Amino acid sequence: MSIDWITVAAQLANFLVLVWLLKRFLYRPILDGIDAREAEIAERMQVAVRAKEEANAAEAVFRAQQAALQSEQATATEALRRQAEEEKDALLKEVHDRIDRERTAWAAHLQDEARSFTAKMHKAGGHALLELTRKALIDLADETLEARIALHLGKQIAAMDQDLEHAAGAADDAVIISHEALPKPIEKEITIALQRRFPKIDVRFEADPAMALGLSLRIGGAQLAWTVDTYIDGLDTHMTDQLAAGSEVRPQ
Amino acid sequence: MILSPDQMILFVIWGIPINATIFYTWIVMAMLTGVSMLLTRNLRADVPPNRWRTALEVIVQSIQSQIEEIAQGPSRHLLYFAGTLFLFVAVSNLLLVVPGFEPPTSSLSTTTALALSVLVAVPLFGITSRGLGGYLKTYLQPSFIMLPFNIISEASRGISLAIRLYGNIMSGAVIAAILLTVAPFFFPVIMDVLGLLTGMIQAYIFAILATVYISSATKPPHPSTTQKDKS
Repeated sequence: MSIDWITVAAQLANFLVLVWLLKRFLYRPILDGIDAREAEIAERMQVAVRAKEEANAAEAVFRAQQAALQSEQATATEALRRQAEEEKDALLKEVHDRIDRERTAWAAHLQDEARSFTAKMHKAGGHALLELTRKALIDLADETLEARIALHLGKQIAAMDQDLEHAAGAADDAVIISHEALPKPIEKEITIALQRRFPKIDVRFEADPAMALGLSLRIGGAQLAWTVDTYIDGLDTHMTDQLAAGSEVRPQ
Repeated sequence: MILSPDQMILFVIWGIPINATIFYTWIVMAMLTGVSMLLTRNLRADVPPNRWRTALEVIVQSIQSQIEEIAQGPSRHLLYFAGTLFLFVAVSNLLLVVPGFEPPTSSLSTTTALALSVLVAVPLFGITSRGLGGYLKTYLQPSFIMLPFNIISEASRGISLAIRLYGNIMSGAVIAAILLTVAPFFFPVIMDVLGLLTGMIQAYIFAILATVYISSATKPPHPSTTQKDKS
């Protein structure tokens, strides 16, 4: 066991050189690399934290926008629903009004139709009634309808003698109105009948196509009439009753 | 029988004889530097480290954590010094298994040189840390009567470091050589394996003790603790 001091000195120098070499090529690069990597990791963490904060902020903005959008959407939906409701109500009201109008118009049209039909029936019924009556009178009694009407009017004048005089007062003319111009013999009979009760009266005959078949006497303030309207009305009532009854009776 | 590689003159450069201790020290230095240069070239922070660089980082960080644990604080200069001590001693001792390789640590000259470097480093680190006056005051602690004892303690630290490392490594090599002549196959293998373990332990102890000595000189003495030689 001996110490070679030259070797000791050389080993000291070698060791110091080795310290410098390892410091230069091992420790410093490794530690600097580790520090740089840690710094980079820290920087990345900072970036990640910032990115997370930005993401959170963006998320908050997005959620706020989403909430605002949903609110706007709900408002718009509510407004549209309300508008649709109003339009629906308006359309329903319009339809109801139109239906009411059409129903009213249809009812009016039906009434017009019924009135027209009734008038036609009235006219046709009256005409048929008169023709039948006239034919029956001619066939059975060799009489004309106008003559029988004039006779009937004469009877009524006789029956209402007092009343007629009282109502006629001091009248000096009498007007006989008929549906069409009466035959001269009939006019003469009526004139005779009236002048028998009112000797000084002047009898005048007029034709009114608008009037129903019959006679109307107007003398002063009194008026006496006989027309077939009452008969036709009776016939109309009878036919209406028959139609109403017929609708309930089933055919055999 | 040559017990020390100092006596093995391998070649002469410019009239200077180069013995086995110096030559194999250069080999260890070349290996350490070469591997370091190879693994730390093109080092970039944005490139993930490969497995070799990771292994190197693990070694360096392990040494650094040990030193920081003992020194109770980070110190890069202490890492350079004690880390180099550890790596040099460890690699020298590990190369014991290479046939024909004479570990430089089996030379008392090498261990003396390393112990001297520790002896020099302790006051250097102490003066750097505390200043000249502050460091010299530590020799008077706890009282001036302890001055000679402190001086003897400092000297004995270096001697014990040198003798311990030399004795362990040299004895292992000598025992292996003796056993090689007695039983050429089996026992040398066992002794070499044991020598690997002993060598690593000695490298660790040498570096740890150097760190303890240096850190005790750089930090204020604690009243409840006493410096003891762990060997």
